[in-house]
Amino acid sequence: MPLGDFGAAIGIALTYFTIIYLTGLGGLFSERSGIVNIGLEGMMIVGTVTGSCGTAELTPELGLPWGPLAGILIGAAAGAIFASIHALATVTFKVDQIVSGVVINLVAIGVARFLSTIAFGQATQSDSGQPRMDPIDIPLLSSLPWGLGKAFDGISPMVIVAFLMVIPVWYSLYRTRWGLRLRSCGENPDAARSLGVRVSPYRYEAVLLSGALAGMAGAFLAVEVNLSWNEGQTQGLGFIALAALILSNWNPIRLMGAAFIFGFAQAIPLRLAHAPIIGAIPPEFIRMTPYVVTIVVLAGFVGKVRPPAAAGRAYEGSTGI
Amino acid sequence: MATVEATTVRDTHRPEWVENIGGQLLALLTALGIAVLLGSVIVIAYGENPLVVYSAILSGSFGDANGLGYVLANAGPLIFSALAVSVCFKGGMFNIGVEGQFIVGMASASFAALTFTFLPAPLLVLSVLVFGVLGGMVWAAVPAILKVKTGAHEVVTTIMMNGIAASLVAWVIRGPLRYEDIGGGFNVNLRTDPFPDAAMIPDLGHFFGIASSARLSWVLPMAIVAAAVVWFIMRRMRLGYEARAVGASPGSARAAGISIGAVQVKLFLLSGALAGLVGIQQLFADQGFLPAGYEAGIGFTGIAVAFLGQNSPVGIVFAALLWGVLARGETSLQLETDVPREFIIILQGLLIMSVVVTYQVAKRRLFSRQLRRAAEVEDLHDAEASVDIEEAGEPGSSREVDR
Repeated sequence: MPLGDFGAAIGIALTYFTIIYLTGLGGLFSERSGIVNIGLEGMMIVGTVTGSCGTAELTPELGLPWGPLAGILIGAAAGAIFASIHALATVTFKVDQIVSGVVINLVAIGVARFLSTIAFGQATQSDSGQPRMDPIDIPLLSSLPWGLGKAFDGISPMVIVAFLMVIPVWYSLYRTRWGLRLRSCGENPDAARSLGVRVSPYRYEAVLLSGALAGMAGAFLAVEVNLSWNEGQTQGLGFIALAALILSNWNPIRLMGAAFIFGFAQAIPLRLAHAPIIGAIPPEFIRMTPYVVTIVVLAGFVGKVRPPAAAGRAYEGSTGI
Repeated sequence: MATVEATTVRDTHRPEWVENIGGQLLALLTALGIAVLLGSVIVIAYGENPLVVYSAILSGSFGDANGLGYVLANAGPLIFSALAVSVCFKGGMFNIGVEGQFIVGMASASFAALTFTFLPAPLLVLSVLVFGVLGGMVWAAVPAILKVKTGAHEVVTTIMMNGIAASLVAWVIRGPLRYEDIGGGFNVNLRTDPFPDAAMIPDLGHFFGIASSARLSWVLPMAIVAAAVVWFIMRRMRLGYEARAVGASPGSARAAGISIGAVQVKLFLLSGALAGLVGIQQLFADQGFLPAGYEAGIGFTGIAVAFLGQNSPVGIVFAALLWGVLARGETSLQLETDVPREFIIILQGLLIMSVVVTYQVAKRRLFSRQLRRAAEVEDLHDAEASVDIEEAGEPGSSREVDR
């Protein structure tokens, strides 16, 4: 089947989409509230190790679908707890947001190793082949002809969760009072404050949410994709999520497209290495496309992106000197 | 009334440099204290004695000459990396791309080492260094030019350039610089050919009775010279003055006739040049080839060391040594206590986080104090002026008149 590889590649792209999209949504909340979050990668890393540990511990007690699910939720909770460092530093102590994000990424590696030694007795990996949720076949789509159905065969339930996530995110950001206020904190915190919106709580909530989503993405990677924890398994996907967020112009719906395109770029070397034309390009060059695309877009050669106006600046408060 | 206030204000006024250095030291000690305290909490939670743990960490470096040699050897790359970060920082820019610049620099340095094998040893080493510098500069030029020409923010572009660099170097190792002399090893595809001996940086440790396994090489003196050069450029040359002007206030710098774009590009190129030398120690004084997956993270650690040294060249040298002492503590920690060696990375993280937060708080306090003092001095002038006026027999005059 000529399209069989293509179907398989889409299947892998869906997996990467889930990771990039969930993490990107984390970045979306944070940056829309005015806090730049380049610590997404670190928050993912904490999610991987805690998610894997939670799954290993809880599956014997809870049984199959629930153990891995609990693990993923533990990963999300750990991501949020870890993100609270970023929130405390940037919102309360008004540390430069880039500085704090860099430190978050540095610290995450140590935290992951430390937790891993406690949980698994070794610093850089867990036992392989841990339990995962039963993969599901999507009805109708999985019976597509020419091998395209492979894309929707045996995928993780979390992929569907990620797809559905756009609804609550879009609704909460654009159709609720909370979302309006959150966005106003990222565009013009002084104006928001003058209308009685307290900026700091919104920014705290957004950063914690950001950590939870990135942690969930990391836990998904460890629990559902790799079936184990390994150091370095995030492979810079947190930065690719950041790139997708920029490409999407900080919009949750366009972020789906960006995450899928970048996810597909990750899948090409794995499944389409022998396809015509694509096979002639070294896989390393395909892997770097998300970064190149982002630079091209950022430089304004193609299209135009505009970050939230107040992202990156600490809110000084109404009593500022 | 006014005279009494005047004396109190003058008495509490310490010289500015005392306040600066004193404040810096106080902030640093506070940060160290907080980090050690938080670290102790973790150690106690682990059921160990913090004193035992901390003395074990120190004994790793100061217990014998080789331990110290290891710390010194590892300080070199950290100094280069932190200097690269600090140079951009002085100009108000954030170069997160040191990691990418350094691995590209190492790939081009490896190319030089494997290509110009006909050169005698000193020239080959020189060409390795020059190619490392050039590789780093080329990689730093892209975000710099994009920033100046298109306004693309350097933080994001350097992050992206890091991703591109990792893939590019992976390709270089798999393709053009691949290890061809296939032996029996299982990872023959994952590195370049070994470098010729003539390309390697000579050992320095044996002059001080340090074993060659510590890998203390001439890279450390090079790094210290680099720190001195950066100090000279930043404090005694026009570029440094312009950089500080741009970093402190771009608007005033522009008004003073400084070309902001030119300064930013120059700083980024200088930063890239320093970044290009980060990997010299590991590749040309230790391993002798460029392995695949060479993302040692020193580019990111350099950011932490630069914060710790508060972006001053002298501070960076000491911060790099402190960082090395902590890193060295991993081994002795594992030998002498039950605390996992990964505790060190946590401790480093705590240290850097508390340094960042403490300095931020200190800076704000200093700023508000300066503002308050400025206000006091202004009031004082007003008060003195009105006293003069009162003596001159014009009691009704107000501040507005004085101004």
